[in-house]
Amino acid sequence: MAPTYNIAMVSDFFFPQPGGVESHIYQLSSKLRDRGHKVIIITHAYKGRTGVRYLTNGLKVYHVPFFVLYRSASFPTVFSFFPIFRNIILRERIDIVHGHASLSSLCHEAILHARTMGLRTVYTDHSLFGFADAASIFANKLLKFSLSDVDHVICVSHTCKENTVLRASLDPLMVSVIPNAVVAENFRPLDYTEPSPRSFTPHHPPPARPLGPHDMITIVVISRLFYNKGTDLLTAAIPRILQNHPHTRFIIAGDGPKAIDLEQMIERNVLQDRVEMLGPIRHEEVRDVMVRGHIYLHPSLTEAFGTVIVEAASCGLYVVCTQVGGIPEVLPSHMTVFAKPEEDDLVTATGKAIAALRANKVRTELFHEQVKSMYSWTNVAMRAERVYNGISGAISEAEFYGYDAANGAGSWSATRGRSGVQSFALIDRLKRYYGCGTWAGKLFCLCVIVDYLIFLALELWFPRDRIDICPDWPRKDRKVDGKDGG
Amino acid sequence: MAPPSGLHQSAIPADFEAPFPPLVRSSTVPAGPKLHRSDPSHLSPEDAYASFSPPRRLGGFDSGGNGSGTDSRPGRTRHKDTARSRSRRRKRFQKLLWVKQSYPDNYTDQATFLENLQRNPRVRPYDFWPLVADSTVIVQHVCSVIIFVVCFVGIFQERVSPVSVVGWSSFATFLGWLLWDWWVTKESPGGSGDEDEDARARMIRDRRASKEFRPPRRQDSSGLEQPVLNASTVSISSVSNFPSAASSTSNLLQDHSHTQRSSHPLGSNTHNSGLLVPAHAHSRSASSINSIASQASAANSPTTTTTTTRLGPDGADHGGEPTPSPIARNGRAYVRLSTIKSAILIYFTLLGLSPILKSLTRSTSSDSIWAMSFWLLALNVFFFDYSGGGRAGSAPTTTSTTSTTSTTTTTGTHSSSKQMPVASLSTNAALMASTVLASRLPSTGQVFSLTLFSIEVFGLFPVFRQYARRRSWRYHVVLTVLLVLGAGAGVGMILGDERGWPWKKGLLGMVVGCLIAALAMGGCSWWLIGLQKYKNEIYGPWDPARPIIISRRHWDDD
Repeated sequence: MAPTYNIAMVSDFFFPQPGGVESHIYQLSSKLRDRGHKVIIITHAYKGRTGVRYLTNGLKVYHVPFFVLYRSASFPTVFSFFPIFRNIILRERIDIVHGHASLSSLCHEAILHARTMGLRTVYTDHSLFGFADAASIFANKLLKFSLSDVDHVICVSHTCKENTVLRASLDPLMVSVIPNAVVAENFRPLDYTEPSPRSFTPHHPPPARPLGPHDMITIVVISRLFYNKGTDLLTAAIPRILQNHPHTRFIIAGDGPKAIDLEQMIERNVLQDRVEMLGPIRHEEVRDVMVRGHIYLHPSLTEAFGTVIVEAASCGLYVVCTQVGGIPEVLPSHMTVFAKPEEDDLVTATGKAIAALRANKVRTELFHEQVKSMYSWTNVAMRAERVYNGISGAISEAEFYGYDAANGAGSWSATRGRSGVQSFALIDRLKRYYGCGTWAGKLFCLCVIVDYLIFLALELWFPRDRIDICPDWPRKDRKVDGKDGG
Repeated sequence: MAPPSGLHQSAIPADFEAPFPPLVRSSTVPAGPKLHRSDPSHLSPEDAYASFSPPRRLGGFDSGGNGSGTDSRPGRTRHKDTARSRSRRRKRFQKLLWVKQSYPDNYTDQATFLENLQRNPRVRPYDFWPLVADSTVIVQHVCSVIIFVVCFVGIFQERVSPVSVVGWSSFATFLGWLLWDWWVTKESPGGSGDEDEDARARMIRDRRASKEFRPPRRQDSSGLEQPVLNASTVSISSVSNFPSAASSTSNLLQDHSHTQRSSHPLGSNTHNSGLLVPAHAHSRSASSINSIASQASAANSPTTTTTTTRLGPDGADHGGEPTPSPIARNGRAYVRLSTIKSAILIYFTLLGLSPILKSLTRSTSSDSIWAMSFWLLALNVFFFDYSGGGRAGSAPTTTSTTSTTSTTTTTGTHSSSKQMPVASLSTNAALMASTVLASRLPSTGQVFSLTLFSIEVFGLFPVFRQYARRRSWRYHVVLTVLLVLGAGAGVGMILGDERGWPWKKGLLGMVVGCLIAALAMGGCSWWLIGLQKYKNEIYGPWDPARPIIISRRHWDDD
């Protein structure tokens, strides 16, 4: 019987703000609750959303008052979060702190404080960063700081793992790859009939009406219209695609600074009747837009995972996407046509996709069931649970890290202390931070020492026995699970 | 490019060993990195780079989870063997997310982990002599700043007559202008220069590309305008500096630029007329850039005529036989006239402003002025546009990119239009420095001389230098040597005793100046090459892709 944990998810990004990280946290938390764990979420206060809230399923959200710097990332004050964080952690009797998103300073601070308080920490990286420009170098240094003393890291794709390992100089074995997932029920094709649970295997939806040579093929694009989403490529490719393929049209949803370029392109080429721009749409409407099309075009220039292409495939769309970042790992090749991030190649790939659809070679009606079996949040929660088990020692080190503990003579390393878990001793932590760089290492050590002193001061001024323990929401019974996911 | 010199060859292997020890996270651990690495089951990040090391098996993986971590030693080896045999039965690890892998989530596959990592893929090795050659640009500018300061000190200490300074410099400026004008006229109408060939070839290529696969669009017109822009950006980047600083004095000159502008659409229309380009708005915008250029270079507008005259043959090339357009011929004479007019205007405006400038900083102490002018001149040196539009025009020298631009590791596209504000900042700083320095001088004549001299040194001379460099490498070297000698001699004379024989000191200064210049050029180049071994750019699939969009040239500029 595996143990259950009290987990605190910490991130700057959470509802009411929409987005990929936000829904990841929500879905993971609720699935973890289903598996019998206690999960709370700590985020900063949003406008009109302060204090403590309960979401569906007894998910408790703490909105900590914090100064928001930019795009709802809070202001990085290394220590000011500590008192209230400690209070919440003690109130809720948290064992594991799980931070999300590399741009969230709340998350990094929480990891630092949690280690000072002697808790296990996990960090999930959702994004990719380069190494070239000054901003990235700075961000990578800070990431190295906070990940110097983290117990485990989760990345959403193998590319993301490689990136994070390089950025934060991590041991690759303490980085797990656990992809995002989709709620397949929310992304059903248009004429979808629930297969009866009894006769599951033979039943497949009937082949869709075959496309004739003159039927209209609709290409859907849903993305924020930013430079790094490849809107320039899109702007350049659309007129050529429409010129080459007469019976096609585009539906573009999303908003952003590059929308004006698209609109200019439409006007210049007089394509108003063939390109429809819907403007910003809400996440709930995504499915309704997607099912209007046959092909989903994703011209992004960088993407850690690309949840939206999974959603599109789940809606039964044939996916054309650029081969960047983690995208090639996400979908099997029969659902996608890959293009290089070049105008010509994108046009060619879209042409291929249109030809394949017209030849009725693609069984898009099967996509939904396939995607459903590939990605589910339950699976994600199971795999995250294995990580929690590993760092808290419920799984032996040998099993978790895949090598035998007795091998290294002393069996002691800075990354992992005895018995496969990182030591909390201040001196061990300082050793880990010291290796971060000539100057940065010393600075980081200073920060850690100050953090520890603050911790001691807090223990004196606000002793633990004076903090109320809050009653738990009734936990669900732990579902019978197959052994740890893999 | 050129084959790497011996120095650099030695730098390359070091490249692959030196810079990555920081990746070993536990370098401060008692176990030590050695032991860390000798641990066979422990994959450290540098294993990913060391592709020459034999791949080791990561034994002991156990997805089944039978919890056999407490094995004794013989048991462990057996365990390893079973793991190996089991993994043979396993499917191969794939870097895919949708596959149900039979590996744990934190499995790190030795064969595929970081396989797409590229280190220093775009690094172009530096060669010593081209680097030294490129550094002459900086030396030239520093020397001209030194000469300016020397002249100021000379005037300030009343060792040099201000009239002679401004007289000689004006004479030199006039000669330079004549020379330049001659170059420009020689270059433009015949169309025999490399640049014209290049521009025409590019234009034909663009046109062909546009005919192939696209309805006429904005990009076509911009692509066609591009040679024009290229030609004019050469002048924009440098020339614009001057009037922006002296705009207070030369506001009146804008009417020239208006007439100038009116001639531009004419030129571009003749050259667009072959194609049915509906994008008038954009051709207008392109020509408005030209007009900005012409506005900017109103004071010395011969540069803009290079664009108009170049337009002539290109447009004609499309229509029929190449004949120089009459507009260009008239424009040249007109431009000469307007240049002279504006020069006279500036002269008299300065003359009128000098009494005001003289008392500008009377309430400020001299120390502040020296400090301020030092910082301003430093600003000028650091922000000067050393690239000189070399990337736009096809300079005769093969190594047209200077060391300053090529050392930047940024991957962003930076066009010359982005560098413009920095360049004008440089010139503005220099003119401000000269203004505050001039305000220290006691008489109106001195103030006037110094200000005019500064305009010549900081506004016009860089344009000439840059043109000379593009024109011929020999002129450039001669100019550099002259400047170094001049600066050295000037400093020697200024530092020397007032009573003594100044020429001896001047000669000594020349020798020392040459030595310092040679040392600085050689030493800095050598240093830069030596620093290359620390270069560690990492590229991989996580980097944002650089989209290749055919219709817009500036994406794949660099």
